[in-house]
Amino acid sequence: MKIFVLNCGSSSLKYKLYDIADETVLADGKVERIGQDDATVTHQSIDKEKVKRTMPILEHTVAIQECLKLLVDKEHGIINSASEIDAVGHRVVHGGESFSDSVLITSQTKRVLTSIIDLAPLHNPANLAGIRAAEKLMPGTPQVAVFDTAFHSTMPKHAYLYAIPYVLYQRHKVRRYGFHGTSHKYIADRTAALMGKDLSSLKIISCHLGNGASLAAIDGGRSIDTSMGFTPLEGLVMGTRSGDIDPGALPYIMEKEDLTMADLSSMLNKHSGIYGLSGVSDMRDIENGIAAGNALHITAFDVYEYRIRKYIGSYAAAMNGVDAIVFTAGVGENTISLREKICENLTFLGITFDHEANRKMGKEVELSTPESRVRVFVVPTDEEVIIARDTAKIVN
Amino acid sequence: MEIRRIGILGSGRLGRGIAENAASIGYDVLLFSQGAGNNNAPHSIELSLNKKLAKWALTESEKRVILSRIDYTSDLKDLANVDLVIEATIDHFYTKQELLRTADKLCPPDVIFILTSATLSVSDIARGLSRPDLLVGLHFIPPVPKINVVELSHGHQTSEDTIRAVEKFVEKLGKKVIHVKESPGLVNPRALITLINEGAYMVDEGVAGIEAVESILKESWSMEQGPFEMADRMGLDTILHWMEQLQEKFGDRYAPSPLIRRFVRTGRLGVKAKIGFFAYTQDGLIDKTWQEQGDQA
Repeated sequence: MKIFVLNCGSSSLKYKLYDIADETVLADGKVERIGQDDATVTHQSIDKEKVKRTMPILEHTVAIQECLKLLVDKEHGIINSASEIDAVGHRVVHGGESFSDSVLITSQTKRVLTSIIDLAPLHNPANLAGIRAAEKLMPGTPQVAVFDTAFHSTMPKHAYLYAIPYVLYQRHKVRRYGFHGTSHKYIADRTAALMGKDLSSLKIISCHLGNGASLAAIDGGRSIDTSMGFTPLEGLVMGTRSGDIDPGALPYIMEKEDLTMADLSSMLNKHSGIYGLSGVSDMRDIENGIAAGNALHITAFDVYEYRIRKYIGSYAAAMNGVDAIVFTAGVGENTISLREKICENLTFLGITFDHEANRKMGKEVELSTPESRVRVFVVPTDEEVIIARDTAKIVN
Repeated sequence: MEIRRIGILGSGRLGRGIAENAASIGYDVLLFSQGAGNNNAPHSIELSLNKKLAKWALTESEKRVILSRIDYTSDLKDLANVDLVIEATIDHFYTKQELLRTADKLCPPDVIFILTSATLSVSDIARGLSRPDLLVGLHFIPPVPKINVVELSHGHQTSEDTIRAVEKFVEKLGKKVIHVKESPGLVNPRALITLINEGAYMVDEGVAGIEAVESILKESWSMEQGPFEMADRMGLDTILHWMEQLQEKFGDRYAPSPLIRRFVRTGRLGVKAKIGFFAYTQDGLIDKTWQEQGDQA
């Protein structure tokens, strides 16, 4: 069974074609600068040369059409016809309260997705555009929506409610939703496999640390809390996002700096986080700055690390214990010094840290020693395979 | 036609504001100005973006992208490659009509033209063009990137398709379109002029000083700028011109106050002259250290 996984953004898309039997990636690629005359399509089929083309691509239908052309291309392709694709799996950022699991896309699904667009105005319209385009180009091929929020739908009410007037939840569904769900789900499944244990018996803290970052407390395979909230702004310090801040500080800042709501939102999303503290948003630059003795970079790193450690502590308390802590995504997989500092300060949990193992890069690795009471891993995430698996499951 | 590149005629405050707004949401812009108009335009647009940068409203890389989308020209022939033309010059019938007639000859026949006049009729301007069905009136309020309501008026011959296309364009700019009948002064300029004029009469009659009138109106109605600061930013010569146009059409209820005539006569034209109702710093901010001399106010 061949599953085409699509992740559509407003001006870009990424795709992978899976043979789901053994989860082989047959081809992958991306289209960037959709809407421009000089859009680029990058594509690579298994065992074939990588191809990059520049062309005018004004909308998602054309972008997906170009991807399909490359998939069936004699020189660069991997299939003979688009009809060989058995199903399409779409990443959809926000499912609101309407979707607690992946679903087959019907006209009703699209109506509900349209009705909750304002929960994720930057992401869901692009996801919907991708769905409509794929339907047009592959009529009759089943389409499945896999939601970033769905994995967290198991959170109990005491974790997802904010202590604001309850009527705001009733009227506008203001609550914690959480994001990075497919990544946290992959990490939970994979960690259980690495530990050789049944997921239902494990308490796992999954640390997805990319440019956006979130932690999830996963008890028995179910997300019971996560650090991102109503939007992806809450929680950890991120590349350019503030994470948690006293809401009382915001009207004060707006008044003092004469800011509009749009200015404030831009400040919190694009000018804050480690960038706001240090002037750089990339953890590699922070590490270089620390090596050179840059005080701001040292502070930014400390604030970033402390917030993660504080959340790990709170999630251990939330689950009344923890069996495994797992690092994933760009920063989580590649920042040796960060993992070291976090784990060295978690000895109260019974972690003993393997510094040697911590230096291994680019693969699944255990960072804790055999005597450690809590096991610590690095597991490279794979959100697309979760989308492909869910799609195959639903179509079957 | 897919609108991707916009030609803007006039690089004054209005033209620059539309250019910045359009480039910010991804349109390519060609800003046309005769003479030295374009000399300062890039700097002014960059200053405006710098103010946003200082308020964290955009990032340095977003600023660079916006600036890279705006080209400048003093050659109308460059309009051959635009998908939409927005005229944003002074509110003078023959100036606007002459410019649009020239553009009419240079642009492909399906390009929509937008007239930004506050007092001139779309139908009157359309008479000189080969594409009267493709002309629509839009009234933007400066600062254009910030004010999100636009009055749309159409002429007798404007086509429904043109109106729909322009509505879509304005909505893409992030603005609400409100349809009004083509009538001198539309809604906003007419109401605003009345407020400014009445305020000036009150100052002249000694009811209250400039600061007091400005403060009462601004704070009572939660206005970001009071009527006198707005007048200064638009230019008192422009305001006086509008008043005279409206007086001609509607009678003496629009008769300009002696104070405004006096200010214009003595060169107190507002921000561009660094002095109008208030004095202004080099950066265009109200100079709070300035004190009115004599009995002007």
